[in-house]
Amino acid sequence: MEKERKPKNIFVQGPISPEKIAQSIANHATKTDIGGHSIFLGQIRADEKPEGKVLAIAYTAYEDMALEKAFEIREEIFAKYPLTCMHIYHSLGEIKVGEICLFVFTSSKHRKAAMQACDELVERIKTELPIWGKEILDAGAPVWKVNT
Amino acid sequence: MPDRIHLKAFGMLAEKMGTYSLEIENPGSSEVLKQQLLAQFPELKGMTFRMALDRKLLQADTDISQGQEIALLPPFSGG
Repeated sequence: MEKERKPKNIFVQGPISPEKIAQSIANHATKTDIGGHSIFLGQIRADEKPEGKVLAIAYTAYEDMALEKAFEIREEIFAKYPLTCMHIYHSLGEIKVGEICLFVFTSSKHRKAAMQACDELVERIKTELPIWGKEILDAGAPVWKVNT
Repeated sequence: MPDRIHLKAFGMLAEKMGTYSLEIENPGSSEVLKQQLLAQFPELKGMTFRMALDRKLLQADTDISQGQEIALLPPFSGG
């Protein structure tokens, strides 16, 4: 029977802990048809800007729209690649330098599907989800982040 | 029933407008709304933003119906 997929909450208040990531990996031990996992972790970088050094990024989102869009992307990626599992987590609120703000996790029988799907998901998350980051600097006013 | 719609603003736009969520009279279409907003909030001029109607990104001028939710979205910067 085809499992019906529904929009899942991708948002986490605050940073994504390394323990959560480890637990998420451990949760797949029982899925023995998986042969490869691909994981992307986005970490807050201490960027040096003309205005100052980045200390943290404060994330906000249009949550309802982001969840609908994430679901749409999820369905498209599942249709395109033979994946066993897919997980997306994005932080909201203030995330400090060195902390994890994005966790994308794909699993498949063979490595290539997991790796390509993970890469495509990260690109689509960054360009298509209505999420905004405001960089908190060590000097002066915060600056709205621009994705490159 | 009055013909009103929900307006939401996010990111830099919300900051410039000083408000995140408003109930306004329905201007009828997304383009008319945009012109109204630019007149009401001159600081929006020159800023890049897109609009979403009921959580779907608009590609062109679109009619707005009573009770719909329209959102002003500056360039996304998640991840």
